[in-house]
Amino acid sequence: MLRVDGIDVHYGVIPAVRELSLSVEKGQIVTLVGANGAGKTTTLKAIMGVLLPRRGSILYKDEDISQLSSDKRVRKGIVLIPEGRHVFSKLSVRDNLTLGAYHRNDREGIRRDKEWIYRLFPVLKEREMQMAGTLSGGEQQMLALGRGLMGHPELLLLDEPSLGLAPIVLGEIYEVIKEINNSGITILLVEQNISMAMKIAQYAYVMETGKVRTEGKSDDVMKRENIMKAYLGE
Amino acid sequence: MFPAEYYFQQLFNGIVFGSMYALLALGMTVIYGILRLIHFAHGALITIGGFIFYVFFTVFGFPFIAVMGIVIALGGLLGVVLDVIAYRKVVGGPEVSMLITSLGFYIFIENLMKLIATPQPYPFKPPMFLDRLFSEWLITFRTVDLFIVITSVAIMLLFNLFVKKTKIGLAMVATAESGETARMVGININRIISLAFIIASAIAAITGFMWGSKYGQISYDMGFTAGVKAFVAIVIGGVGSIPGAMLGGMILGMLEMFSVAFLPPGYAGYRDGIVFFVLILILIIRPSGILGEKEVK
Amino acid sequence: MHSLKTTFERMNRPLTYLLAVPVLFLLLWVVQSSMSQYVILIVTFIGIYIIAAVSLNITNGYAGLFSLGHAGFMAIGAYTSALLTFPVKLREVFALAPLPPLLGGPEFQWPFLPALLMGGILAAIIAAIVGIPVLRLRGHYLAVASLGLMILINAVAMNFRNLTRGSIGINSIPKYTNIWWSYGWAVLTIYVVWRLVNSSFGRAMMAIREDETAAQVQGINLLKYKLLSFTIGAFFGGIAGGLYAHLSGAIMPWVFSFNLTFQIVIMVVVGGQGTIFGPALGAVILIVLRYVLKPLEEGLGVYGLVELIYATLLIFIMMRRPEGLLGLSRKFSK
Repeated sequence: MLRVDGIDVHYGVIPAVRELSLSVEKGQIVTLVGANGAGKTTTLKAIMGVLLPRRGSILYKDEDISQLSSDKRVRKGIVLIPEGRHVFSKLSVRDNLTLGAYHRNDREGIRRDKEWIYRLFPVLKEREMQMAGTLSGGEQQMLALGRGLMGHPELLLLDEPSLGLAPIVLGEIYEVIKEINNSGITILLVEQNISMAMKIAQYAYVMETGKVRTEGKSDDVMKRENIMKAYLGE
Repeated sequence: MFPAEYYFQQLFNGIVFGSMYALLALGMTVIYGILRLIHFAHGALITIGGFIFYVFFTVFGFPFIAVMGIVIALGGLLGVVLDVIAYRKVVGGPEVSMLITSLGFYIFIENLMKLIATPQPYPFKPPMFLDRLFSEWLITFRTVDLFIVITSVAIMLLFNLFVKKTKIGLAMVATAESGETARMVGININRIISLAFIIASAIAAITGFMWGSKYGQISYDMGFTAGVKAFVAIVIGGVGSIPGAMLGGMILGMLEMFSVAFLPPGYAGYRDGIVFFVLILILIIRPSGILGEKEVK
Repeated sequence: MHSLKTTFERMNRPLTYLLAVPVLFLLLWVVQSSMSQYVILIVTFIGIYIIAAVSLNITNGYAGLFSLGHAGFMAIGAYTSALLTFPVKLREVFALAPLPPLLGGPEFQWPFLPALLMGGILAAIIAAIVGIPVLRLRGHYLAVASLGLMILINAVAMNFRNLTRGSIGINSIPKYTNIWWSYGWAVLTIYVVWRLVNSSFGRAMMAIREDETAAQVQGINLLKYKLLSFTIGAFFGGIAGGLYAHLSGAIMPWVFSFNLTFQIVIMVVVGGQGTIFGPALGAVILIVLRYVLKPLEEGLGVYGLVELIYATLLIFIMMRRPEGLLGLSRKFSK
């Protein structure tokens, strides 16, 4: 469904990602892991169109979207839930969700999706009219997720959903992520918390300083990484 | 000291001028909210609005409502032109560069007006039905004063509804908070910015008509002082806050009128200078304004 | 353009500077003795504008502030020095109050240089007063606050009739300024800028301009440097105003308007913000342009043509070559 082919992405003059290739099959959960600064967020931003690659291509459903603007990519079915939540803090929970469906015109579909999201995250329904900025960290994460889902994506890009969340909430979030995948949405998940990510993902890419160091089925990669750690005595 | 009527009169004047400043501040704050840019050329739209009205109403004799429509349309159009030509290219650069370019465009337009219209001010009269004088009650006023206050309130209410209830209005607030996040939700921020310019400029153009009616004349530089005062209004009310802008405008109007009222007669010319004092005072005491967010420094 | 730039760069060395000054004065002597009064007047004006532009550059170009009030500082300098040097005999005729005892008493008339300096100092003091609250805040606050200051000074000049004779203005000011005064001060101003730029003060200013946060982290006291730049710039602005008053012999409030500020801003931008000679070049170009176009403006009755061209020039430079004519291209300066 998604094929990234040898992209270089720069932050200004600094190369953040070099010759990166990855692919995601429809229906999968693929995870992109690595240490801080490895280039994971940059990769997601490039897929979303927030940053444009200098080389290489990004193919979505066999269409080259490498130079397409972000809002057009949203219309094609790609949604990014950015790192750090980024809700519209001055707007209410409900308005945030409404905006998530900004590019859509199907009233019925929007209504159904909203109901689904309130079922996934009951706390959002409770706080429907509250200003998003007053929500707790975990609630904001749910709102960001919900808002993204309102866009009716086929491919969901998740950037560190566990960041800054208490362990109890973590489990909930990951349950929801599984449920979202079960409903047919393909997920590309970026995480520092490797263990949780590997548990739900089928395939994994490990990044280091802007490149893919290793990839494979998540179980295999876990074993490999453990061996390496044992070998190097980390 | 003075009879009670005098104070009521000044209060009323304060409300009228305050309404105009509030509208101007609203327009400027909308653009500032989205671009983080002081749109100096905003003042030029006031001048242009005044002149458009003059040309179509006084010279060509079109009916009032049609002329107002033309003012709004042309004002909005010019706003988009400014957006695309002037700001689109410099957005993202150093702040000072944006300010200078913005200034350059104001000067350009002002002198273009000077060239076309000559430095002479033109006497400006609103339509007959707005020009009637009433002196019966406590205060003296013209119908145009009522028009100004009512229209201002109406526009502010409409705008408020717009940003709270419509999808595009919400998109504007979202874009103002974070352009990047807005893009991720599928909002085309260039279109939103253009829309902001259209709305702000149309409002400014209408204010030009009001300004001309109040002062009885229009001239090529009438937008300058108005623009500076709009900015002061924003600072008073809180940069980045829409209700703050409107509040600031009202307060400024009142302050101006009251200072003129209480100053000895020969000092009425200091009116514009008072504005500056207020600005400095606010910047010392509370730079973020009454309703504004704390300016991080 | 490239060879022009390297020529000017070579001018940065003290030897060139020392040689250039006598050459300049030789040229001026030629102008003074052989050209018409009109041309001498224009050349002298250019000198005054050079002072104004170079001083504004200290604030805007080097420190990266955005001051729009320079005309106000010039007004302060002009009025102050004019009121001090005003001939005693004419004071009553022109309804100007005599000098208070502190300033020399009713029989006293200040000589030119001290009066000029007084004007500059007063401008600097006012800059300091306004600067302290405002320079702490973001750029556009200074822009509008300085604009407001100019409006306020204008309002005072227009209305404080006892002091300034209001909108009639003051005339019959003794015409002390000549080409030597004008360029003498211009050379001095440029020298001061040159010394500032090549000192630790200058480096601090430029660090602030490039990246305020980084500068702060390095321990540079932002407010102190901004305030100093602003004040020094205002001082020389006041000097320029004083020189102007004693050149034209008459000053009116509307002379020191936004238009004037804007012209000086354009000179700085067109010539090159943050370069030593850029503003001077800008001043020369713009004034020459003005006087070349003036007959056209009057002949065709198109008022505002000169300012329109100025504005177009500014926009063009901001879009295509924001570093100005003599500025280093941003692409290569890092």
